[in-house]
Amino acid sequence: MRAVVFDGIVLGLQFGLLGVGLTLVYGLGGVLNLAHGQIAVLGAIVTALRIDAGTPTVLAVLIGLAAAGAVALLLDVTLLVPVFRRTGESRVLLGLLLMLGVGFIIEGVLGWRYPIEALSLRIGGGPIDVLGVAMRSGALLASAIALGAAAGLVVFFRFTAFGKAVRSVIQDETGAQLCGVSPATVRAVVLTLSGVLAALVAVTRSMTGPVNVHAGVDLTILALIVAVVGGLGSVAGAFAAGVLLGIVNTISAHFIGSYITTIVLLGAAAVTIVARPAGLLGKGRE
Amino acid sequence: MDGARRASRIRHTGLRGPGTPGLARAYAPIVIAGALAALLPLRYGDSRTMMGVIVGGALFAAYAIGFNVIFGSTGQLFLCVGALAGVGGYSSALLSDRAGLPLLVAIPLACLIAAGVGGLLSWIAVSRSLGVIFTGIVTLAFSLAFHNLLLGRRDLTRGETGLTIDAGEDTILGDLVPPYYVLLGVVVIYLVVYRGLQRSRTGWAFRALRDDEVAAELTGVDVKRYRVLAGLAGSAMIGLAGALYAHSEGFISPTTYEFGHVDVSVLVMLAFGGLGSLLGPVIGAGVFTILDEWLVWSNEYRLMIYGAVVVALFLGLPRGVAPTVVSLVKRRRERDRGESNVSGKRASR
Repeated sequence: MRAVVFDGIVLGLQFGLLGVGLTLVYGLGGVLNLAHGQIAVLGAIVTALRIDAGTPTVLAVLIGLAAAGAVALLLDVTLLVPVFRRTGESRVLLGLLLMLGVGFIIEGVLGWRYPIEALSLRIGGGPIDVLGVAMRSGALLASAIALGAAAGLVVFFRFTAFGKAVRSVIQDETGAQLCGVSPATVRAVVLTLSGVLAALVAVTRSMTGPVNVHAGVDLTILALIVAVVGGLGSVAGAFAAGVLLGIVNTISAHFIGSYITTIVLLGAAAVTIVARPAGLLGKGRE
Repeated sequence: MDGARRASRIRHTGLRGPGTPGLARAYAPIVIAGALAALLPLRYGDSRTMMGVIVGGALFAAYAIGFNVIFGSTGQLFLCVGALAGVGGYSSALLSDRAGLPLLVAIPLACLIAAGVGGLLSWIAVSRSLGVIFTGIVTLAFSLAFHNLLLGRRDLTRGETGLTIDAGEDTILGDLVPPYYVLLGVVVIYLVVYRGLQRSRTGWAFRALRDDEVAAELTGVDVKRYRVLAGLAGSAMIGLAGALYAHSEGFISPTTYEFGHVDVSVLVMLAFGGLGSLLGPVIGAGVFTILDEWLVWSNEYRLMIYGAVVVALFLGLPRGVAPTVVSLVKRRRERDRGESNVSGKRASR
C-alpha cells in the first residue's frame, strides 16, 4: 500500500508540473492550450533525435526543452496575436479552437516525419530504498526534477519582480497595464515557460516509460484534468491537484482497473467544474 | 445589443422579421440539396466502397446539423458529438440484439436516451452557468469517459474488438443503397426542422441569446429553457444518426464514435460550412468527405492537414468558407446591378 501511494506521489508530481503550464497560460490570457501535450511530445522527440545523433543526454534534453519553449513562443507571436486582440468569450473560444488545431498539426507533423521515434531515458543504478519501499532510481530522479521545478516556480512567483508582474496580470489585466506591466511581454515569457515545463514533463516521464509520438493527446487531457481540479489559474492548486490525482490514479489502477481509473479522473474534473468551478485552491474569480 | 433589438421586434410587431424569407425561398435550398444528393447512388450505386463513402458523408452531415443546433444556435460547445452518437448506436444495438426489442422500438428509444444524456449535459451547463470553456471541458470529459466505458465494459460492448449487430441485417438497412436514402431522408428532415426552428419564435430566441445573452434575458427570453431545448433536439438528431448508422453497418466499435474521429471532423466541417447556417453543415460534410477520400492514403498527413484547416479557417474566415463566398458573390452581384442602374440612368439622361 505504501508503495502504491509513493508511486502515486511520483506520478502526481509530474501531473502537477503538467497542469502548471496549462493553468498559467489560461490564467494569463484565457487561452486553453489544447496543444500542451503535443508541445511536450515535441520536446521529447527533439531530445530523442539529438540523442540518436550522438549529442550527450543532458545537452540533448536542454535542446529539447529549448525547442518546445521556442515553439510555444512562436505560437504566441503569430497565431495567438489575433486571439489576444479579442476579449471575453470570443477570445476563449477562438484560442481553444486554434490550439486544438495546432495540436493536430504538431502531432501530424511528428507522426508523419518520425512515426516510430520515442524518447526513453534509462537512468542507471538499482532501486533505492525509501522508507522501506524500493523505488526505481528513474522515478526518484523524475520526482526530484519535478520538485525542483516546483520550488523554482514558487521562488519565481513569490520573490522576483517579473514573477509578481505575472501574478498581477493573472489577477487583473487592465490594472497591471495601468501599473506599467506589459501583458504582452508577460504572456510571451509565460508561454515559453509553459512550453519548457511541458517538455520537462515529457522528459521526466520518459525516465519511467517511453514517450512516443502519439502521447500528446493523453498528456493534454491529463494537464486539463489537473488544471481544472486545481483551479484554472492557480499554480499551487495545480500541484496539490496533481499529487492528489496521482495518488488516486495509482490506487484506483492498482485496486480497480485502468479503464475505471481514467473515468475516475475525468469524473473528478467534471465534478469539480460543476460543484466548485474555482477548483481546489482557486479563488472565486468572476 | 443587436439581440435585444431583434428580440424586442417580436414583441412589437408579432410579425416575421425582415430577415425571414418566404416559404418557398426558405425551403428551396433543402429541396435542391436533397435532390442533388439523391442522385449520387445512380453513379456510385454499384460500388460498395463508394457507397460506404457517401453513407459516411450523409452520416456526418446529420452529426454536423445536430452540433450546429447546439453550438451554432445557442453557443454551447458540446465536445461530445461522437459520444452522443455512440450512446445512440450502442443503446440501439444492445436494445435490439440483447434485449430483443424490434428495431422500430429500439432506434427511437436509443434516440431518446441520447437526447436525455445531451439534455442532461446541457441542463448541468446551463444551471451552473458554465461558460464556453467549462461546457467544453465537461462534455469532453464525458466523451472520454464514455470511450473508456466502452473499452472497459467488455461484457456488453466487446471492447476494442467491436460489436457485430445482427438486428437490421434483414431489413432495408442491411442492403447497399437503401441505407444511404434512409440517412439522406434523415438529413433532409433535420434541415426542415432546423429551418422551421429558425423561422419560429424559438429561432428568434436562439439568435437573441447567441448575440447577447444578458440582453436576451432582459427582453424576456428564457435563456435556460432554450439552451436545454437546443441541447435536447441536437442530441436527439446525433443519437438517431448514430443508431441508424450502427444498424446499416452491422458493426460498431469504440473507434466508430471516437472523439478524434467524429468531433474533430464535425468541427472542421462546421468551420468550413459556417456555424449557424442552414446548409453549412451539409456543404462542410460534402467537402470534408471528398477531402477525406482524397487523403485516405496517408493517415498522419491527414491529421496535419485537418489541423491546418481548422487553424486557417477559424483564424481567417471565422464565419466559414461557404458563407463568406456566398456574401462575396452577393455583394458582387449587387455592385454589378448598381452599376447597370447608374449607367441606365445616364443613358436615359
